[in-house]
Amino acid sequence: MFACFYIPDFAVQAALLPEPPETRAALRVAPLAILDGPASLPRVFATNFAARRAGIQTGMTKLQVETYGGVRLRKRSMAQEDAAQAALVNFAGTFSPRVESTCPGAAILDLAGMEKLLGPWPEAIREMMTRAREMGFDLHIAVAANPDTAFLAARGFSANGSSRIPRPSSIWAGVFIPPGEEAAQLASLRVDALPISPAMLEILNNWGIRTFQALAALPAVAIVERLGQEGLYLQKLARGEVSRPLLTAEEKAEFTASFEFDDPVETLESIFFILNRMLEELCLKLLNAALAAQELRLTIALEVRQIRRGEKEEEQYRHEWKLPVPTQDRSLLFGLIRLQLEKITFSAPVRRLMAEVIPVKPRVAQEDFFTPPAPEAEKLEITLGRLRGVVGSSDAAGVACVGSPELVDSHKPGSFAVRHFSSIAEAPPHRSRPQNHSERGEPMCKAHGSAESKDSSPSLNSNLLTPVTTLRIFRPALETSVELTGAKPHFVRLWSRHRRVLAASGPWASSGDWWNASVWWREEWDVALKMPAGLGFYRIYQDRLREQWYVEGAFD
Amino acid sequence: MGSKAQILKAQIRAQIEEKLPSAFTVYERQERGSIATGIAAIDEAVRGVPLHALTEICGSDMASSGKTSVLTSLLAQATREHFCALVDARDSFDPASGQAAGIHFSRLLWVRCGTSRVKLPPLEQAFKVTDILLQSGGFGLIAVNLSGIPERVVRRIPLSTWFRFSRVIEKFPAALVFVGEEPHATSCAGLVLRVASEPAVFSGKLMTELKLRVEVVRGRDKKPAGSERYFELGKKSPEGAGISLSAQWA
Repeated sequence: MFACFYIPDFAVQAALLPEPPETRAALRVAPLAILDGPASLPRVFATNFAARRAGIQTGMTKLQVETYGGVRLRKRSMAQEDAAQAALVNFAGTFSPRVESTCPGAAILDLAGMEKLLGPWPEAIREMMTRAREMGFDLHIAVAANPDTAFLAARGFSANGSSRIPRPSSIWAGVFIPPGEEAAQLASLRVDALPISPAMLEILNNWGIRTFQALAALPAVAIVERLGQEGLYLQKLARGEVSRPLLTAEEKAEFTASFEFDDPVETLESIFFILNRMLEELCLKLLNAALAAQELRLTIALEVRQIRRGEKEEEQYRHEWKLPVPTQDRSLLFGLIRLQLEKITFSAPVRRLMAEVIPVKPRVAQEDFFTPPAPEAEKLEITLGRLRGVVGSSDAAGVACVGSPELVDSHKPGSFAVRHFSSIAEAPPHRSRPQNHSERGEPMCKAHGSAESKDSSPSLNSNLLTPVTTLRIFRPALETSVELTGAKPHFVRLWSRHRRVLAASGPWASSGDWWNASVWWREEWDVALKMPAGLGFYRIYQDRLREQWYVEGAFD
Repeated sequence: MGSKAQILKAQIRAQIEEKLPSAFTVYERQERGSIATGIAAIDEAVRGVPLHALTEICGSDMASSGKTSVLTSLLAQATREHFCALVDARDSFDPASGQAAGIHFSRLLWVRCGTSRVKLPPLEQAFKVTDILLQSGGFGLIAVNLSGIPERVVRRIPLSTWFRFSRVIEKFPAALVFVGEEPHATSCAGLVLRVASEPAVFSGKLMTELKLRVEVVRGRDKKPAGSERYFELGKKSPEGAGISLSAQWA
């Protein structure tokens, strides 16, 4: 068996799909016309039932429509229609793995072998209708033994406005055509429901053939003699005898959503509202495909600006988020976008939004009894985004302000990097102190404690690391002046005062990167300075290239 | 008179207690668990840094007090079992020292305040970041290093902020540690340590030993500890615990 999902007034429904359910319901009953064509003379391309009842016809100009009053007008958006068609195919994919995207607004799915899963066909059709309404579609569904019969029934009975399944409400419920009854069920449809050329339709009209029943009753040989194979094919369609394999929709690896505003918007609230809907759609796609977003890409096209006479420029803002944990959580993705956009001021109103997710298989991980409690990986991204909003993303050197510190493979003192922080479990931390201690004898502290005191609290003292005297860095290093006695520092100017050097160790010379522009050469001293609050142990160094002294930090 | 006052007090209490029961509820501070600092003498004296509480580690900024070393040692211990956050108000953390101390960097979130073009003052950045981290949860230790921030600026932080931090951290199995020049949280802090350096021991031109002493200003016994809890280097205190750090320069 095959089912056809058909969206009547597809252009209208596609235009309404991004709207919230309440607005969509209100617009459905109000006269609505979709305009298409050149901006100088747009014409009515599609209408809903209320507009047709009001007398608005396809092909009318915008001016003509405006004379009716109370009619809502929308511009046709191919992007929205593509998105609606993709959503329809995606929705059909929730019932069957074999789906054909037949034409805009129609999808045929193969339900062979699904009878036990879906139940009796009338009930299955009602269930499909209910779920379609939740998705925002007003669908017409027909189930038949072959794809073309299902398609013709869905489209033809939709045009006739009749229904074959009793239903409690006035909503069109669908058609179920039992095998062998195709010709009888399709008999009342008009021949213009067939995929027929205007010339052929005119011939049939001249013969007085206006329904499927009349066409099916003609002798096949006589039709071939007069209309050729095309006529025979149309007759077979009218009898419901055409059987063909489905041209299943190709699995698209792209998960994208886009929206183009009728008029450029300037407020973030409007952008957020649409982005939320787009992400909801994307996450639903991911959920249906049993995938999760590993990467999120956002492109915002700004209004075209005329910068000079005849020259126009379209600016685009792009941003990517690489997620440490694949997610299907819309609120998480939306939170990341919101935090980023709140920091930005656009140079022009926003014209178009495009969101794309790179899907991967969702992470399946079992919690470990021995894993320490950690921030939730999904929420952590939001937290990091908020932190970046407070302290900034990176410093003047381009090093990130938020993340995990990391030493880089360099001999240059003070070299470090900040990489992305993640709470995903990694290898257990080392139990012993690393061996790469300073080669030149970094100041090192040892904790002393009596033997009996160590035994008294083994839980706290077990596996203690050896404490190390830490250097508190001044970033950037403080420029200073040093008075030397011989080659040894005697006075160091620090915080506007000359400090006497009580003891000094050095110099330790180092240099590097002499092969490129970032060459450095320095001589370090560790000095003990007499400070008002006591002794201060500082590291100073002389930049031999600039002949300038600096205070790098304090041992604290 | 005394009995009349007591009767009056009881009557007032009986009338108000039904409407405002929280007004007469004695709030008991929860004390559960701790994180070792990695310095045996401190851990034995104060049983480490308490969870569910605010801790202050104080010491001079100009003189080498050793407070940053205590913080580094604490982070090295904490990152073995917990995910930790270091809010660095003056961007003064030295990753090389951290690695030498044994900090597990992949479990450390380092937030460098005052380094970007954000106009917010570093202290305000640090406190906002702390707020966010407390809301986020999941961190076993949140350390806020205020070293280098002028004392007159830190002193302007209202007591209500410290009170809020102490009440929030009580709900989470985490330790909130502030490192600065002076203690400011007063009774909101569960533990206050003051660190100072002893005169260093020199051998020729090299400093061979850096000794620190730690005073427990406020401890778990809920009363401010005075000079009787003052530990000297290398000597045993009357309680049987001594705190000492010695540094050797090669």
